[in-house]
Amino acid sequence: MIDLLSQLAAWLTSSGQWAGPEGIAQRLLEHVQYSFLSTIVAALIALPIGLFIGHTGRGAFFAINISGFGRALPTVGVVTLVFLASGLSMTPVYVSLIALAIPVIVTNTYAGMIAIEADTKDAARGMGMTGLQSLWRVEIPLAAPLIMTGLRLAAVQVISTATIAAYVSFGGLGRYIFDGLAQRDLTQVLGGAVLVAGLAVTVDLILAGVNRVLFRHRLT
Amino acid sequence: MTIEWQWLSTHTDDLWALSLDHLSTAIPAVLLGLLIALPLAVVAHRIRPLRGVLLGLSNIMFTVPSLALFVILLPITGLTRTTAITGLTIYTLVVLLRNTVEGLDSVPAKVREASLAMGRGRVGTLLKVELPLALPVIMAGVRVASVMTISLVSVASYIGYGGIGQLFTDGFQRNFPTPVIAGVVLTLLLALAADALLVLVQWLCTPWIRKGARA
Amino acid sequence: MNRRNFAAGALALAVLPMLAACSGGATTLDTPASAPGSAAAGDSAIVIGTANFSENQILGYLYADVLKGAGLTVTVKPNLGSREIVVPALQNGDIDLLPEYQGSLLLYLDPKATESDSDALQKALTAKLPQGLAVLPPSAAEDADVFTVTKESAAKYGLSTLADLAKHNGKLVFGGPAEDKTRQIGLVGLKEVYGAEFKAFKSLDASGPLVKGALKSGDVDVANLFSTDADIVKNGWVMLTDPKHLIPAQRIVPLIRTGKATETVKTALAKLNTALTTEELSKLDALVDVEHQDPDTVAAEWSKAHGLSG
Repeated sequence: MIDLLSQLAAWLTSSGQWAGPEGIAQRLLEHVQYSFLSTIVAALIALPIGLFIGHTGRGAFFAINISGFGRALPTVGVVTLVFLASGLSMTPVYVSLIALAIPVIVTNTYAGMIAIEADTKDAARGMGMTGLQSLWRVEIPLAAPLIMTGLRLAAVQVISTATIAAYVSFGGLGRYIFDGLAQRDLTQVLGGAVLVAGLAVTVDLILAGVNRVLFRHRLT
Repeated sequence: MTIEWQWLSTHTDDLWALSLDHLSTAIPAVLLGLLIALPLAVVAHRIRPLRGVLLGLSNIMFTVPSLALFVILLPITGLTRTTAITGLTIYTLVVLLRNTVEGLDSVPAKVREASLAMGRGRVGTLLKVELPLALPVIMAGVRVASVMTISLVSVASYIGYGGIGQLFTDGFQRNFPTPVIAGVVLTLLLALAADALLVLVQWLCTPWIRKGARA
Repeated sequence: MNRRNFAAGALALAVLPMLAACSGGATTLDTPASAPGSAAAGDSAIVIGTANFSENQILGYLYADVLKGAGLTVTVKPNLGSREIVVPALQNGDIDLLPEYQGSLLLYLDPKATESDSDALQKALTAKLPQGLAVLPPSAAEDADVFTVTKESAAKYGLSTLADLAKHNGKLVFGGPAEDKTRQIGLVGLKEVYGAEFKAFKSLDASGPLVKGALKSGDVDVANLFSTDADIVKNGWVMLTDPKHLIPAQRIVPLIRTGKATETVKTALAKLNTALTTEELSKLDALVDVEHQDPDTVAAEWSKAHGLSG
């Protein structure tokens, strides 16, 4: 165990390991790129859905249950299916990561919207705001902390699942896990796992920090 | 992409067997997770400084990619079902631990004090008062953990214990979508069934809530 | 989850290694040979494992059929994973018997090995196998590595042997499993023996959907496939010949725990090994991969038709 840990430390700190087209820096960049793009696209799809349901109250059942559906959907199955349907490209990876992220964002956005008290919405209407104005100026700002939480949860899940890109021959930190297995190099597998976990935790802390700075004035 | 219905109709036995295999990995993982999470949650609830440590640790473990975790466990537990169950148990803790702690937190201090004053010991209060009151939140955690675990078992097909996940590797290798579609649908159905069953269990276990709702 | 939780968790993670240091442990994927788990069940019970591709499963079920015919109690654990996962499981006693391939198995045990004919491979395997494991005599059937190009590329670049690759050094893209980058059957041997060098290497899979998809789409020009793969004939792909014998023989060998290699087992497997030819094996592969039949059914019908299942 102590050997393995010192090998891991050596692997993570060797400068040769970080450089080059297959170096850690490049793999990290790819991993961030896959995760960032997937989370952003998922947010662009999920936010309007969550806001619409939260604002109108229509489709609440859907908003509550879609996160369970998302949790139940086996990512390996989705990747394989899209791969068989569309061939060798990044499409299977993006589709499965986006599918993973959408439900979390929808449910949290909805939760943020319904937590707003009816009185507050009534007051906005009373001041002569239209539905859209109330949504934009009152409801979204009030729901923002929970919406951010949804984005954070989604980002963390996407980062730890984006290793799947290597399953269909692409890059990212998952390469170390799959190649380490093929080359019987446990240090490399462990190194990949530590980097993924490290990235996920870092992103989570950053987003939590952003959340705190943005909504510091809130009493919640 | 077409579905070969013929394949489905001749493989119902296999699909059933794979589902059972799937559950014999998933169910022990959730039960074991609960067995570990309950005492840890009591510790985290009682000893404040440990709470952050335990919850933080389970959060970090949750971010480790599952395939890597299985591979790392291999030299320790071998190519056995234990490896798959151990890995999955670790992932259940993030939900089970947090929900159990939150459940215990939700019990008003006054209720606990009253029970102690009535002469129930600390253990008696925990078992007879606090845990039953925390049950709805704990059960919500068990539901989430079960659904998550059922979905995650597939990854263990990399070490031969993936249950339904075998259909994914098989379909991938043979460029054959039918088993993959069957696998995705079966996983969703199992997760749905497990969730519904747990709702029923919770309803049966918390008669006081039912009464409250009716009154 | 809040920041404090993660910070505290990280602290705890930093302390863990110190605790773990006291316990010792493994640094590779290879598990040490320990008390055999299944051997306790007696000599007449045998557990057959197979790797995660269809041909290996067919072979595993064929082994099972002939051993059942010889009166043994047989369990098959199909689809256990890649060689890197299955061979350690054999050493560990989780399984007793595994269908293997001479050349690949030797390269797994010794990545620098250069033996290429079947007899030399068999000798080298016996020398290199860890204690407690043995290979039985090989089958007539072989599933060798082949370096394959599309018909179009073959015509365009004038490729028919591996020696022709050197005419286009630095122009072609090579695709194969991750190991091909560093081992003899792959970039190393192609350069050493044929002087061939490539523009790039793509890490894909072992004659699986990734490398075949990449060859089809033109993402790679040369692909490492397996000779029994039905897709080679189906797509009219050209297998480059190997005049200098770089590629080792890949005849199928039973890899077994020595304690399980009784005379009954040896005799039964030897009968199968004589009956099973490359042509027969390719047919069985096609039934599973192309016709989507099940490996166990295909194996059972074949061994029954050949009078091997008793």
